[in-house]
This record gives sequence, structure tokens and C-alpha cells, in this order.
Amino acid sequence: MIEVSDLRKEFTLSKQHRKELNTKESIATAVDGISFNCKPGRIFSLLGPNGAGKTTTLRMISTIFKPSSGSIKIAGIDSISNPTEARKKIGFLTGSTGLYARLTPNELIKYFADLYGISNTDFKERKEHLYTLLDMHDFQEKRIGKLSTGMKQKVSICRTMIHDPEVVVFDEPTSGLDVITAENIIQLIRDCKTQGKTVIFSSHIMSEVDLLCDDMAIIHKGKMLFDGTMSAFKDQMQAENLTAEFIRIVNATKTN
Amino acid sequence: MIFTIFKKELKDTLRDKRTLMMMLVIPTLVFPIIMSLFISISSSFSEEAANKEVKIGYVGNKDNYVINQLNQLPEIYGKKGLYAYTDSIQLKADIHKDTLQMGIYIHTDFNRDFSSKHPAKIKVFYNATNIGMEERAKTYIETIEEIALQERYLELELEATELRPIESKFSNIASDKEMIGKLAGGFLPYIFIAFGFLGCMYPAIDLFTGEKERGTIETLLTTPVARWQILFGKMGVVILSGLVAASASLLGLFISIEVFDFVDNEQLLEIIHGILSVKFIITLFLLLFPLTIFIAGIMIPIAVYAKSFKEAQSIITPLNIIIILPAMVGFFPGIELTAVTACIPIINVVLATKELIAGTLDYSLLGLSFTIMMAFAMLSVFISYKRFDKETNVVL
Repeated sequence: MIEVSDLRKEFTLSKQHRKELNTKESIATAVDGISFNCKPGRIFSLLGPNGAGKTTTLRMISTIFKPSSGSIKIAGIDSISNPTEARKKIGFLTGSTGLYARLTPNELIKYFADLYGISNTDFKERKEHLYTLLDMHDFQEKRIGKLSTGMKQKVSICRTMIHDPEVVVFDEPTSGLDVITAENIIQLIRDCKTQGKTVIFSSHIMSEVDLLCDDMAIIHKGKMLFDGTMSAFKDQMQAENLTAEFIRIVNATKTN
Repeated sequence: MIFTIFKKELKDTLRDKRTLMMMLVIPTLVFPIIMSLFISISSSFSEEAANKEVKIGYVGNKDNYVINQLNQLPEIYGKKGLYAYTDSIQLKADIHKDTLQMGIYIHTDFNRDFSSKHPAKIKVFYNATNIGMEERAKTYIETIEEIALQERYLELELEATELRPIESKFSNIASDKEMIGKLAGGFLPYIFIAFGFLGCMYPAIDLFTGEKERGTIETLLTTPVARWQILFGKMGVVILSGLVAASASLLGLFISIEVFDFVDNEQLLEIIHGILSVKFIITLFLLLFPLTIFIAGIMIPIAVYAKSFKEAQSIITPLNIIIILPAMVGFFPGIELTAVTACIPIINVVLATKELIAGTLDYSLLGLSFTIMMAFAMLSVFISYKRFDKETNVVL
């Protein structure tokens, strides 16, 4: 379960940032008081155009960023006051996630298992399960730098799931991937759902959202424009398809 | 957790060829290569100078005491050829062109003055840019002067000792070890600081900026490990790399002396053996340890702040000069370790090492230097911690 309440994130802008953004404001609000809940066994999608605040929101949920105000609970744990405990429950994967090219998949997975404090017995069991599921045995001893994009993606998935997280955060997980490689991620997200995990993923690809999600939120310029189930979204659609409706909702904020 | 991160970062670093080159290969090989080049070049120069026939031109009467003696000097003084000139202008021009290497102008009154026992005048020309020629000219003329002096004693029936009413002897009370320490001791810490810096540089950039650039830092930050633990684990590898690079340069020096026998002066070798004791090495590392932490602590905030490998490198490389310049103070013989200089970071390490080599180290000043360096090291670690804790610095 992820419970987000009145979440806000402000960044202090340096002189250089102000110049780049062509603004005189010294503070930029990336996320402006959003609230939503992601339930176990359901897939929650965070939608928004570039710069909407999706990544910042997911980084706050993953404890990489501290919110300026508001609260986040991960599986019942207050992630702001107790980030270390909350992190044990979170698996985090982004489309731009890099891997340590000079390590082998075995070394990398063991490293993260150690960081999560997994016992040796649990580690061996989970590793074997994930390696079989993802068909990773053949390249487990090769340096990651020498692996194909698809193989690297499998290593990333294995790293994300090695500690069997209750909550899985995906930040644009399929961006830059070809259809075949992206399929591994789509399958992972579905598996997480069937295992009863809480899944949140950000995307701006409506077809992907339509394929996977049960609940969704649309954010734009840090503000929440929609929060509800996928079926509720479809029911109140004014445009002819999901993409057009998404664009319509975002554009409506410009005219308001 | 710190050790888990340290272990992984060390493994990762040791697989990076660029870091290995900077940390181990270059520091180990630099001394043997420089020393072998220096020795082979200098020995080939001295061999060439010794075998070279020195062409000596002279202006003046051929039947002259100086020219006669010069002709009679045995070949042990070096091969030579004598050429008569009619004017000193052409003589000097030929020395300039290196057609001649030495010229002697015999004064017109030379024979008269010489026989009447007045100082007979000659003028010696040489080109000081022609290495070794000044020494060769002095050797020839001083030998001839000495022969003339001995002949004069005989002629006047004088004992040489009678003409030396005072016999003075200058005695240097500084030991050879002290001389080496005070005059050349600055070289060792300079090399240590330079290689310590290089050793820290690539791991610092790779483990902080590199991780940010490659997009691996985010996943690390979502693990249940405190940021300070991540920082300390990574910093440990940066410090170790700096220490290994500095130690490798010492190893290279040791290999040059003990394996390749580049030092052929027995007396000097004995002094060097006396300096390189276990106590010396332990004390040296005691000084180097906080210094390397300090260097790492300066580099890490920059590496954390930089957005790309290139940016980090372009900021850290000039920093090299800021660190190395104080280290150069060690080359000035007059500056010593005092209560004031012991409070100046880097300079205190250089001066303390000099005193350590010379065997004149005041241990209370060593303690002060160590305390000051530790304080600066802790301050730099604190700055690194503050930088690493700032979320906008860590994530792109």
C-alpha cells in the first residue's frame, strides 16, 4: 500500500537554473499538494507530460527526495520519518537505470542482496527463482558491460525483485526499449499484480497504461488533474480515445 | 554496510584499466623509468665528453710555457688538439661555432713576466653552454698552474709548507643524512602528494560523478543504507587508491635502488638504507593518511557536484596545482618545521617528511602536524557529507 497525502516538493533555483528556465522565481514547485493511494494487487499509473512532476513524485515515494511537506506511507511505514525501514519494502526501477558494467550479474545481485540485508538462504532461493524465471543462467558470469540491452534489462528486474519488495515503483520503465525487451517489464508488472504487490508506474504512453493499469492519476505542472480507476476514466471520457482524452485534460489547464 | 559498499567499489575500481594505470602502473614505473633515462643520458653525456677531442685554439707565441705544458699533459686529462690563431676575434667566433671548444690568449708580455717572476697573464675562453667544457678548461689550466708553482718552489729553494702560514680546515657538522634530508628531502613528499592526488582523482570521479552519469546512483539510494554509509564506503576506496598510488611510487623508488642498482655510490646507498627504516615508513604513512583523506575530501564534493566525468575532470585537474604548489615549499632549503608551519596543511606534511629523512624531527611538531591534518581531513569529510546529502547534487 502507498498512501500519499498533500505531497509537495519545492526546489531552490540557483542563478544558473533561473537563467535556464527564464524565470525570476527563486523557488520552483515540482509537486504541488497531490494525494493518492495505491492498493496492493492493483496497478497504479501516474500519467503526465514531460516535466509534470511524475519522476519527482516517484523519487519522493522511493525516498530519494525528501518532500517539502505532506506525508507518504509505504506498507504502513512513514517513509519520511523512517526512510530506512520504508526502503526495505520498495523495489525501484527506471527506464534510465544503469548497471555496474564492470560487475557480473551474480556480483551485482549479491551486492544488492547484501545491501537489503537478505539472509544467504533466502538469497539463494530468490536468485534461483528469478534466474529461472528470467532465463539468466547463461550470462550470469559475464560482465554486464558485455551484455545485450535485453539481458541488462533482465538483470535490472532481478536486482529490483531480489528482496521481494511489497511495493514496486517503476519510473517510465519501458522508455528507450524495443518491443521485445519492453515485454519483460510488462510481464514483470503483471506478475507483481498477481503476487499481490502494490505497483506504481509512470508513463506517458497511453497504450501501455490501458494495457496494464487498474487505477490512474494524471498530473500536470505538479497538480493532480485526475485520480480514479481506469474504468471511471474511460466512463467520463469526452474525446474519442485515451490519448486524445489525456491531451484534452492537459490542454484544458492551459485555457483555465 | 560500509564494508559491503567498500568491497564492491574496490572490485569495480580494480577492474577499471584507467584507474589501475594511475593507481599502480604509472607510480611504480615512474621512478625506474626516470632514473634509468637520467642515468643513461648523463652517462652517455659524460662518456662523450670524456672521449671527445677538445680543440684548443691559442693566440700568442708557440714557444710558450703554457702551450708547452698543455702539449705535454698526458691523455688521462682528455684528448686535445692545439691550433694556432692570429687574433682573438676569430678564436672567439670559432668557440661560438663549436669549431673550437676552448681558447687561450697569451699576453704579449707573458714570457718576460714569467721569467722575471711576475704574474704572467693568460685569458681563457670557453662556452659555458657547452656542457663539461668549463670544467675541462679549469682542469687544464689549474694543472699547469700547479706544475709552474712546484717548479717555482724548487727554483727558489722554498718549501711549499713555508708559504702556508695558516692551514685551515672546514668541517661540515651536518651528517650526510641531514644534508640529504634538508636539501633533497622535499622531493619525496612532493612525489607522494602528486601521486596521492592522481591516485584519488579517477576513483573519486568514477565512484561519484560516474555513478550519477551512468544512472546507478538512484538504485543505490533506494536501498536501506544511510547516505553517510554510502559516502564512507566509496570514500574508503578513494583514500585507499591515493595511498596505494603513493606507496607504489615508494615501491618504484625502492625497485630503482635495490633491483636496478641505479645508485652506484656506496656511501649514498648506505645513507638511503639508513633512511628507509620501518619507523620511517610508519611515520610517513601516519602523515600521508590524513593528507590523503584531506585530498579525497576536497575532490569528492566536486565529483558529487559535477554532472559529467568531463566537468569533474576539468575542475579537479587545476586543483592539482593548488595542492602541489604548497608541496613545492619542500624544495626551499631554508624553510623548516616550526609551530607556525606545522599549522599549515600540506606544507606541514612536506616539512615534517624532510625533517624525518634528515633525522631531526621534533615529535611534538609531528604530533601538531598530524592533529592539524586530521582536523582538516575531518572538515573535508564533513563538507563531502553535506554535499552528498544534498539530493539535487546526487541525482541528475
